[in-house]
Amino acid sequence: MDNQIIVQIHNLEKRYGKKKVLHGINLEIASGQIIGYIGPNGAGKSTTVKILCGLINDFEGDINIFGKDLRTHELEIKQQVGYIPENAVLYESLTPMEFMEFIGEMRGLENEVCRSKAEALMNIFEMKSNLNQRIATFSKGMRQKVMICSALLHNPDLIFMDEPLSGLDANSVIMVKEMLTHLAREGKTVFYSSHLMDVVEKISDRIVLIDQGKVIADGSFEELNKLSNDENLEKMFTRLTGNTNHGEKAEAFINAFEK
Amino acid sequence: MIKFLLSLFKPFRWFIEKMDADYDQFIRILQLKLTLDNRQMKGLGNHSKNETENAMTKQSFAQIMFGIFFAMFLLMIKSPFTYYYFAHSFLMVMMAMMIISEFTTILFDTSENVIIQPLPIKGNTISLARNAHVLLYLSMMAFNFSVVSIIVAITKFGIVSALVFLFSIGLNVLFTLFLANMLYLVIMRFASGEKLKNLLMYFQIVIAVLFMSFYQFGLNLVDKTQIQNMVLSVNWYTYLIPPAFFSGLVDAFTSFVFDTRHFIFIVEALIVPVAGIYLTGKYLTPVFNRKLMDLEQGDRVSKVKTEKTHQSLWYRMMLAAFVHRQEEKASFKLVWTMSGRERLFMQTFLPSLGFIVIMIAVQFFRKSSFNVDKLVQTPMYLFILYALMLVTASLPTALLLGNNRHASWLFKTMPLSSPAHYFKGFIKAAFARFFMPFYLLVSVGICVLWGYKAIPDVVIALLSIYLITLLFYYIQQLAFPFTNEKRASEGGANFIKVMGLIIITVMLGFIHFFLLRWFNYANLFLIPFYLGLIYYVNRVFVYKKINWEEVDEANAYS
Repeated sequence: MDNQIIVQIHNLEKRYGKKKVLHGINLEIASGQIIGYIGPNGAGKSTTVKILCGLINDFEGDINIFGKDLRTHELEIKQQVGYIPENAVLYESLTPMEFMEFIGEMRGLENEVCRSKAEALMNIFEMKSNLNQRIATFSKGMRQKVMICSALLHNPDLIFMDEPLSGLDANSVIMVKEMLTHLAREGKTVFYSSHLMDVVEKISDRIVLIDQGKVIADGSFEELNKLSNDENLEKMFTRLTGNTNHGEKAEAFINAFEK
Repeated sequence: MIKFLLSLFKPFRWFIEKMDADYDQFIRILQLKLTLDNRQMKGLGNHSKNETENAMTKQSFAQIMFGIFFAMFLLMIKSPFTYYYFAHSFLMVMMAMMIISEFTTILFDTSENVIIQPLPIKGNTISLARNAHVLLYLSMMAFNFSVVSIIVAITKFGIVSALVFLFSIGLNVLFTLFLANMLYLVIMRFASGEKLKNLLMYFQIVIAVLFMSFYQFGLNLVDKTQIQNMVLSVNWYTYLIPPAFFSGLVDAFTSFVFDTRHFIFIVEALIVPVAGIYLTGKYLTPVFNRKLMDLEQGDRVSKVKTEKTHQSLWYRMMLAAFVHRQEEKASFKLVWTMSGRERLFMQTFLPSLGFIVIMIAVQFFRKSSFNVDKLVQTPMYLFILYALMLVTASLPTALLLGNNRHASWLFKTMPLSSPAHYFKGFIKAAFARFFMPFYLLVSVGICVLWGYKAIPDVVIALLSIYLITLLFYYIQQLAFPFTNEKRASEGGANFIKVMGLIIITVMLGFIHFFLLRWFNYANLFLIPFYLGLIYYVNRVFVYKKINWEEVDEANAYS
């Protein structure tokens, strides 16, 4: 496995009006890694992912993906990138097959290839029988599965995931986790943004923790743990993001009802 | 059908590619949008296929009817240039209205960004497809509006002229779309995020009111003999008025005169829309897109307004006056707070309020012998008061509109004995917040002009309006407030409702009027009568009518 650098983020800043949400993020990501991207609510996780996927074009700093500048080579980069958004927004009145055909055609896939891929992927999630039903009738987990399948349709080299496991049942969660490891072994890179600490701890080769728009910890769990000796990622997370008095808060919560 | 529509774009492939877009992707996105529309029409939800298809036909029918009214006015005009000038102006105004009221949501739709943006789609393809989507609907509408004028044109000026007219309508559609794009960009320069949406809303309201007043005053005040021989003279500035371009073009092919004057018009008619569309595609849409991307993102972070929690004296007064049950309080407060912030509600309700004011004003000024001293002798104020009842046509319907479909589960989970409590609170709040201040203002004006003896009449009219509003609200679809998306096709059904309402209004107004004529203070009989009815409706009728089964039918809790 050659560890080529495929994502380079240099001094990434983003502001909405006057408010700055990213204060200079610097990251280098090698291929074949699973990056766990964590941080408290509102830290700028989703914003980073959205910028990397081309959902937000207006940012400061430099981003190079596959050695190409995101600003000037957006289309070529998008061709090799898959994105699984946080909330599965889909065209409700389409069927998964139609939806994936649309996605595939936009990416320039042959219709036949696209159909067989879609079938194969949906089959893995045991949703083959749902291929021609309207998405409007699907549950949250089923939608998420459609989302995952359509993001992997074109066999991307770099996959961005924003809380991809939300709504999935236990079997599917295990399956997706397995799938991620396989993908990484094949040399694909997964950028995994999540709140589920135990999942991140288990699957990530490297953990990047951001808070208030800055990277505050970066390394594998073992490396990070050497520095501090937290028993798990959750403990480390709360220590680094400065929320340690959970016990008191919970008590205050109970007290609020007793008045 | 979709295939046919898509094939219409084939000859323009070069143009689309010149606009920095990928033709195949463009067609695919357009196909997707049309498929979605088609499916939505057929409906998965609670609306059956027949109903919605009917609505579409109804809308087309309403547009054609509108076209007939206008063609009747055009029929009188002898000069072809003037004829086409008015036809094109009418069309432009109607399309502008339509873009503002119906298509803004399509142009500003950011919900699909998450799906579409990460795909490798070339440059302007998305926004071009979006514009093409609107263009298709706009063309259909333009055709509906002018089909009768085209027929009239055939009989008046011959088939060639009518064909050129049809062609010029296409150009007009392109031009109007370009204008709308320009307009939105200008507005976006000055505002962003939530502020932009609010600005657009007020803009829509003002345009709607202006248009209606123009229409009312215009048709009522113009002397019909003048129209017949009206010939527009061409001045230097005529060359700058867009409808003149198109009418000049058609005129040239009607009278087969190709002098300098017509030549300028022809060149303008051909160049301006094409250049406009070129400009839109090449320069405006990229800016538009960038702004659009920030629209959704920036909202959350940049401008966070802290809402006041304090309750005004007016609120407390109205609460005390209207709500006597604990169960209604929460829903009263909910609608009171939300109605001021829900754009769809304001967009629908405020123009209708403006419309009523204009209608009353027109009735007053139409009479050439307008004289306040004489007026005060007549019970004309009754007309004003009862005209306000027309507000009922829009208040209950407007209350349904909004994007909070996913919040209706909340009501179902609350431990409340009857859903009627909710609905009572809702309508009372909307009535108290939006109608009462307006009514009080009008009443004060009336009491100043007609004296204190008008006070009982003001009270009676208010009671009757309140009663009718309650009834209309309770018998309409029992969806929770602000949960229905606006449908492009409600024109037809509303018409019937308004007709019914006008009949009721006239009836109640005349009862009141005759009681006044009968003997002094006979009108006072009406007060206990209405109070009794309101009591009955609010205490008995509403609980019989509104139960969970009916409410469940009208709402989806998801």
